[in-house]
Amino acid sequence: MTTKQDRGIVGLDPTSGPLERPTGRSLAVRPKTMDGQVIGLVTNGLGRSQEFMTALSEEIAQIIRPGGFLHVVKNSVSIAPERADWARLTSEASVAITGFGG
Amino acid sequence: MLRAARHEYRDYSSLLEDYYERGWTDGLPVVPPTPESVELFLDRAGLEPDRVLGAVPTREVVVTAEHAAINAVMAGCRPEYFPTVVAAIRAHLHEMGNCHSTTGTLSGASQIVVVNGPVRGEIGVECRGACFGPGFRANATIGRALRLVIRNVCRAVPGVFDRASLSTPMRYAFCFGEDEEANDWLPLHVERGFSPQESTATVHSTMQVCEVMDYTSRTPEAICEGWLAEILRRGIFADRFVAQANILIVVSAEHQRYFNQAGWSKADLRNHLWQRCQASGENAKRIMLGGPEGFLVVGAGGPGHATTWLFFPHLAWAITQRIESANDERRT
Repeated sequence: MTTKQDRGIVGLDPTSGPLERPTGRSLAVRPKTMDGQVIGLVTNGLGRSQEFMTALSEEIAQIIRPGGFLHVVKNSVSIAPERADWARLTSEASVAITGFGG
Repeated sequence: MLRAARHEYRDYSSLLEDYYERGWTDGLPVVPPTPESVELFLDRAGLEPDRVLGAVPTREVVVTAEHAAINAVMAGCRPEYFPTVVAAIRAHLHEMGNCHSTTGTLSGASQIVVVNGPVRGEIGVECRGACFGPGFRANATIGRALRLVIRNVCRAVPGVFDRASLSTPMRYAFCFGEDEEANDWLPLHVERGFSPQESTATVHSTMQVCEVMDYTSRTPEAICEGWLAEILRRGIFADRFVAQANILIVVSAEHQRYFNQAGWSKADLRNHLWQRCQASGENAKRIMLGGPEGFLVVGAGGPGHATTWLFFPHLAWAITQRIESANDERRT
């Protein structure tokens, strides 16, 4: 006689899917050089994040010759950048650095 | 029809080790979420598996009733707890619950579930002695179910979307009931627009917890001074999105006594705190509550210890959600 225990046990996957990056997406192409590239600097506005990003941009400018910096301060600390901010970043910057403050 | 992938194991021990290996637990053992048990939970709540309870847009996650039921089974819930778990998940996923921020934050904010209404007695949610702590199945497993959903479905996994520096043991489970019968105060859910006959789950995300023990004060004003010292020292913050925050104040039985003896309602208490905050001067930290209603006052706990706990907010509103019956769910 086969008991229920002999038949084993079925467990359901409790997740909403794998944590890996969804298929069909890839990382953006990385520029070969940063010279001449516009660098987006995204902060959440908390604490001294803007000062930090400004200092970082000055450091970067000592190392490479960027085409410029695009400073984006999120409208609110705790939520994602707004659509207009994304549009500015994707249309005007080649790369972006995100940071926070506290 | 259930859509989750099925995994077969020879026994419980094998299932448990595989769930650990896959990162599907909070570090504690789980109850196997078999198809039969998950269907039982869904039936008890009157929910189809694909019913959407909410979403986390920034993580491209949609939370369904099936996800919720699987994790509630794993947490050790009884089927009759599931409608309360569903209400807590809906509250957590409310836009102003700001779930991406409250579960991803460096601060390791935790989610407190406060249960109100008749459901407390029906399923045994503890409201009195030791209600914040271990020993009560409904409290422990409802709170844990929400956290397992946050982890497994909403992807708040340490190192992924959980970026906490230290985190907190309150993230295992934190659920308790308001002791509505202990005093004449209006219950939290009634103050928030529900009827006394309805049951609700309120989810409050907290970033800092402060216990104010005070055995010497004998008047409402004096007890409030102890709370205000902490509130004014720390401040209560919101950002532009949240705009107006809440602070949850859980008043123990010994402190409730003095407010009741003096005839102070919750509204009296809130108004007093708000006026004192307004008069605190230019050098005080900001109190971004918007008004007296930002103070959420709840009575809970057993006798003996003269204490009040202040749960300062993370960047979110405390959201109260009605616990729906199976019939109500089937009608919607």
